[in-house]
Amino acid sequence: MEMNATEKLSAIRELVEHMVANKIAKDRDQLFEALAKRENLESTGIGEGVAIPHARTDAVDEVVLVFARSRPGIDFSALDGKPSHIIFLIASPENKKSEYIMTLAKLSRLLRHGPIREQLKNARNPSEVLEIIKKNEE
Amino acid sequence: MEINRALLYLIDNSDQRIFPLAIQICKFFNCQLFVLFVLEEHRVSKLASLTRENTKVIRQRMEEEGWEMLYLVEDEAVENGVRTSLHLENGLAINVIRKYVENYKIDLILIRRREETKKVFVASPAPVMGL
Repeated sequence: MEMNATEKLSAIRELVEHMVANKIAKDRDQLFEALAKRENLESTGIGEGVAIPHARTDAVDEVVLVFARSRPGIDFSALDGKPSHIIFLIASPENKKSEYIMTLAKLSRLLRHGPIREQLKNARNPSEVLEIIKKNEE
Repeated sequence: MEINRALLYLIDNSDQRIFPLAIQICKFFNCQLFVLFVLEEHRVSKLASLTRENTKVIRQRMEEEGWEMLYLVEDEAVENGVRTSLHLENGLAINVIRKYVENYKIDLILIRRREETKKVFVASPAPVMGL
């Protein structure tokens, strides 16, 4: 999805609304609070224009991943000071910690690579995004 | 002594045993916890020569294990209300640690006591606490 929000908490709110509207999450407030709590304790902006807001919460039933882009970029307080253009939100139920940690680790590794970030920025539809992730996962 | 920022340097999965103590120290001092994993090429080469696996595969696996450790620390830190900042870097660990101490004004380095961390005790520009 393309984001309209310009700052991180409203960006997270927008992502949460999208997840609830698409029945990916069942509790809007619980999910937002979990994500916001983490965002207040750390920056999920990992630098190079990427942010991975994430949380464990029973507002979701499975480990879910939502991809979003922002052309102007959103300030996720990354240490390199760069705005985030690529945003992956990851949410997991409390009892799926291993799967959640593994998903975060795989994604973080992939997103360190400049060419992959560029491909994601230019992907034309969700299938292309999935294809890029799958292709580079091995 | 005022401690605003502590750096936890991790080498491999066996360092998981010091996560709770490192987090409790940060909670006690109310300081931010920087968590650092360094992907060192000499470790990749050493493992490649031992296992005869492709260096690319080993590098990828080590990097993923590094991220897993970082996120495990973070998960526990968040439960305890400790502010964290996760970092995965390439290079020589002691050089990266020096850079972090200087750039992020690290007051204390936390590491597990082991053979591989001896050089950090000797060469670190900031106080080191072995756990």
